Amino acid sequence: MKRIRLLLVDDEQDFLTTYTRRFVRRNVDIRTASGGAEAIEQVRTTEFDVVVLDFLMPGMNGLETLRGIKAIAPKLPVIILTGHADSEALCTGMESGAFDYLLKPVGTDELYFKILDAVGMRRRTRD
Amino acid sequence: MQPILKTVFNFIRGTSGGDREAPDQFLRKSENFRLLLAANSRALEVMAEMTEAARSDRPFGMSHVRAQCLTVASGVRQMIERLCLMRPGRYEELKTVFNRILQEMERELASGAERGVGPLIMPMEAIRAGDVPLVGAKMAHLGEVAALLGLEVPAGFSITAHAYRLFMESTGLEDEINRLIQIGGNGGLRELHRLEAEIRHAIDMTALPLELAQAMRSACEFLDERDGGPRLAVRSSALGEDSDENSFAGQFLSLLGVRPEEIEDAFRSVVASLFSATAMTYRLNRGLREDAMVMCVGCMEMVDASAGGVIYTRPPLGEDDGSLVISAVQGLPCGIVDGSSRSDSWKLRRDDLHILEAEIVSKQCRYVAAQDGRIVREGLKPGCESEPSIPEEVVHELGRIARRIEAHFNTPQDIEWARDPDGRLLILQCRPLSVCAQAHSGRDPDSPVKTSATPLLSGCMSASPGATAGQVVRVETAEDMLCFPEGAVLLARNARPQLSALLPKAAALVAEFGSTVGHLANVAREYGIPALIGAPGAVETLSGVGVVTVNAGTGGVYLGRHQDQIDDADERRDTPRVSDVQRALRRVLPKIIPLSLTDPEAPEFRPGGCASLHDITRYCHEMAVNEMFLQDARPTSRAKRLHGDLPLQYWLVDIGGGTAESCDEGRVGVDEIRSNAMLALWTGMTAVPWEGPPPVDAGGFMSVVFQATQNPALAPGAANSMGERNYFMVGGNYCNLQSRFGFHFCTVEGFAGDDPTENHALFQFKGGGADQGRRAARSRLIADLLEQYGFLVETRGDALFARIEGIGAEAVEQALAVAGHLVVHTRQIDMVMADAQALARYRESLGKGIRTALKRLEETSPQWRNRT
Repeated sequence: MKRIRLLLVDDEQDFLTTYTRRFVRRNVDIRTASGGAEAIEQVRTTEFDVVVLDFLMPGMNGLETLRGIKAIAPKLPVIILTGHADSEALCTGMESGAFDYLLKPVGTDELYFKILDAVGMRRRTRD
Repeated sequence: MQPILKTVFNFIRGTSGGDREAPDQFLRKSENFRLLLAANSRALEVMAEMTEAARSDRPFGMSHVRAQCLTVASGVRQMIERLCLMRPGRYEELKTVFNRILQEMERELASGAERGVGPLIMPMEAIRAGDVPLVGAKMAHLGEVAALLGLEVPAGFSITAHAYRLFMESTGLEDEINRLIQIGGNGGLRELHRLEAEIRHAIDMTALPLELAQAMRSACEFLDERDGGPRLAVRSSALGEDSDENSFAGQFLSLLGVRPEEIEDAFRSVVASLFSATAMTYRLNRGLREDAMVMCVGCMEMVDASAGGVIYTRPPLGEDDGSLVISAVQGLPCGIVDGSSRSDSWKLRRDDLHILEAEIVSKQCRYVAAQDGRIVREGLKPGCESEPSIPEEVVHELGRIARRIEAHFNTPQDIEWARDPDGRLLILQCRPLSVCAQAHSGRDPDSPVKTSATPLLSGCMSASPGATAGQVVRVETAEDMLCFPEGAVLLARNARPQLSALLPKAAALVAEFGSTVGHLANVAREYGIPALIGAPGAVETLSGVGVVTVNAGTGGVYLGRHQDQIDDADERRDTPRVSDVQRALRRVLPKIIPLSLTDPEAPEFRPGGCASLHDITRYCHEMAVNEMFLQDARPTSRAKRLHGDLPLQYWLVDIGGGTAESCDEGRVGVDEIRSNAMLALWTGMTAVPWEGPPPVDAGGFMSVVFQATQNPALAPGAANSMGERNYFMVGGNYCNLQSRFGFHFCTVEGFAGDDPTENHALFQFKGGGADQGRRAARSRLIADLLEQYGFLVETRGDALFARIEGIGAEAVEQALAVAGHLVVHTRQIDMVMADAQALARYRESLGKGIRTALKRLEETSPQWRNRT
C-alpha cells in the first residue's frame, strides 16, 4: 500500500514528538507544524494525503488554519484533534469542511484508523 | 413498519430508466455509507455509556461528561455529513436541527456554573452570611459573626468569585485548564500529580487582569500600617468549601505572613490549590462539578497571637454528651489545626459552661509571626512548659462565644480563635462541624446474588440492569405490538428499534439478537427496565411459558416470580445520593438519548421531527439505507470479467486492494481475489452447486406470465436492463455484490476488517416473478434463516433488508457465506412457495446448505488468508 503523507499540526512539541514516533512505524510519512501559518505554508508547497489539526493554538487559531488549508487544497481531508471539548469548534469546524472532529486524548489506533478512513475516502473516490 | 424496503420496490423499476450512476459516484456513495455506519455505532456506544453512567455511582467528572457529549455529537455530525454527501442537497436541514440540539445541550451543561458581574473585592465589614456565593462560606461566616454578633475578627477583605472568574475567563486560563484536564485522561494518581503540576504552571504563567491587580493593591492600602507593613493570612474560601455536605477540610491552601506586595502570587497559589491532586480526587469522588468550582480568597491581617486554638461545640466523634471542647496552645494556633502540636484542652458542659475536664499538657514550643512575616517555631521560656495556655476565665469567655455562634448558625461549629497580647479574642474561622454518625452496618453491595432457582436461560448479555417478573409476550408483527399488554416481559427475536415504542409498557425485555449498545438497549436503560439482549434460544425457550423472572444481574431468566431476586436488584439499584455531576449529566441526557422517531412511516419521521441526537442517528441511518438502495447503482465501466467455470456472468470492480496486482485489464480469476469479504461471500455462493431453477408447477408458471404482463421491464426488448449481469465491488476487506437473476434483485455488502465497530454485513433482497403471496413467503423463509445467524431482518411484503454490525472479521465472513448461499439458492424458489410442504422442504435444504457453506469456509479460509 502507498505510504500515507500526513501533516500533524499542534503547538505542543511533546505531542508532535510522541505521535511522530508512533506513526513512522505504521506506513506513514509524517511532517509536523507547530502553528497555523506554518501548516498553511507546508500545504502550499507539499502534497499531503491528510492533515491532523489541533484547534486551540496560540497565534492563528484552528479555524483560520482549517480555512486557509481548504482554500489551497479543498479536497485535502483535515481531521480536527483537540483537547478542547467545545461544541462551537465542532460546528464551525465541520461546516468549514473538516473530515471529522476527535477529542484528545486519542489512542494511536483510533487516530490511525481515522486517518485511514480519510485517506481511503479520498483515494478510492478520487476523480 | 419497514419503510427502508418500500423504496426497494422501486429498485427494479428504476433500472429500466436510464438514470444510472457512474461507478465513481457509486464508490463514493458506498464509502460514505460505510463511514456513516461506523459513526452510527460509535455514537450509540457512547450513548450507552452515558446512560449507564447516569444511573451508576461510579465517580466521573464534568470534563468527562462534556467529552462524552462532544463525542456523541461529533459522531452524529459525521453521520449527517456522510448522508448529505450521499445525496447532495436533500438533507441539509439536518445541520440546522443538529446545531439547535447542540445549543440546547450547551445550555444544559452551562447551567449550574452560571456567571455574573459584581465587585472584585469586598471588605470584611461589608460581608454577611448571604454573600456565600460571592465570597465563599468561610469569609461569609466571619463577616456575619463580626457584623451581627459583634465579635472581633481580623481586618481584611475577600477576593470574590467574580475576581476568580475574571481571572479565569479574560486570560483564557479556564480553557487551558479544561484542556489540560481533558487530555489528562482518567489516569491514576501519578497522572493526577502531573496534571496538578501542569495546571499550577499554567496559573503561575498567567498575569492577573490589570483591574484585579489594582483592586487588590488598593484593598491592602487600608490595612493597618505597622513596622514593615501589614502581614496577611491569605486563605482559601472556595464556593462549596465548608458546606454541610462537602467540607474539603484541609485540601486548599492557606498562606500566613504574606506581605501586600506578594499578594498576587499568594492569590495564584491559593487558586492553584483548587487543582491539587487531592482536591481533584475529592471532587471526583464526591461528584462535584469541576467547572462550577470557584476559589474565593480571604485576606486577613495576621493576628499577633499570644494564644490560640480551636473550639468544637459538640464532641466530634461518638455520642453527644452535652459538652463542648476547647483546645489551646501558646502563640499561633496553626500547630493545632495541622495536628503537629500538643494542646491544652477543656471539656465544658454546654448549658452552664461548667468545666468537666481540663487537660494541661507539657509544651516545648510555640509558633509566632516573626518580623519579616514568616511563621517561626520558638522554644518556650523555661518554667512555662506546664502553664495553661489561657486562664480559666478566658476558657469561659470562649465557651460563651462558641454558644452564641452555634445558636446563630443553628448547627454545630468548628471555630478557630486567637487571643492577642492585649487579651482581645478574635474569631479566625468558623464552619459547620461534621459530626460522625455511628456507622450502620449494611449488606455488602458486592456480594453475589444467591438464588436457588434454576434458570430457563442463562448467560445472556445484560443490556439494562435490574430484575423483574412478568408474563412473557412474544412480539414479531405489527399486530403483536398493538396487542402488547401492560407489564409483560417483551420477548423478541431481534432488538429492533421499532420495539422501543413498547418499552414504557414492558416490565422487561428479552431479545435473542441485537446489540447491548443499540437503539433499543439505550431506550431500555432510559426507562430503567431490565433487558437481556443476546439471549440465544430465547424465543423457542420462553414462548408461552407464562410468568418469568428476568434478572439482568445474573443474565438469567427463571420460571415464575422470584421476589428475592427482584428485591435484591432493587436494593442494589438504590443509590440515594445524586451528585452535582450526575445532575448535570441527567439534565443534558434528554437532548441526547430519548428516541422518539420509532416509526419511519410516521409523518414526523423527518429532520424537523428530530428532538434528540439519538433521533438524528436513527433518521440518518434509515435515510442512508434508502439512498444506498433506492437508486440503481450499478457501475458500468472499469469492470473486469470474472473468468473460470462459472454458471453465470460476474463482473468485478476493484476499489483498491481487492485483487492481485498482477491481474489482467479485462479479466480476473477467483485465485486473484485478495478481498477476504469477497472470498467469504464467494465460498458461500459456490459451496453447494446451484441445481438450476426449480421445476415450476402450473400455478407458479401462470403467476409468472401474469407478472410479465404487468411489468414493462419484462417485455421483449427490455432484456438488457434485466440481463444477468452481476457486479462485485471489492476492496481489501470490502465486498459489495449487486446481482440480478431474472426477476430477482439482490445486494450483499460486507466489510470485514480489524475494527469491529466498522465491520458489517448487509443483505438486501427484492423482487421475484411469482405473485405477492409466494414472494412474501420466500422473504419470510429467508428472514428466518438469516435471523438464525444473527442478522437483524426487516421484511415488507417480498422485500427484505438484513444487517449485522459491530462484530469481528471472522463473524462477518461467516455472515457473508450465509448470505452467499442464500443469494444463489433462493433464486426463483418463490415460484414453488405454494404450499407449506414445499416451504418446509426448502427450509431444510437451505439450512443444510448453509451448514455446508460454513464448513467449506472453515476449510478454505486458512488458504486464502495465507494468500492475502
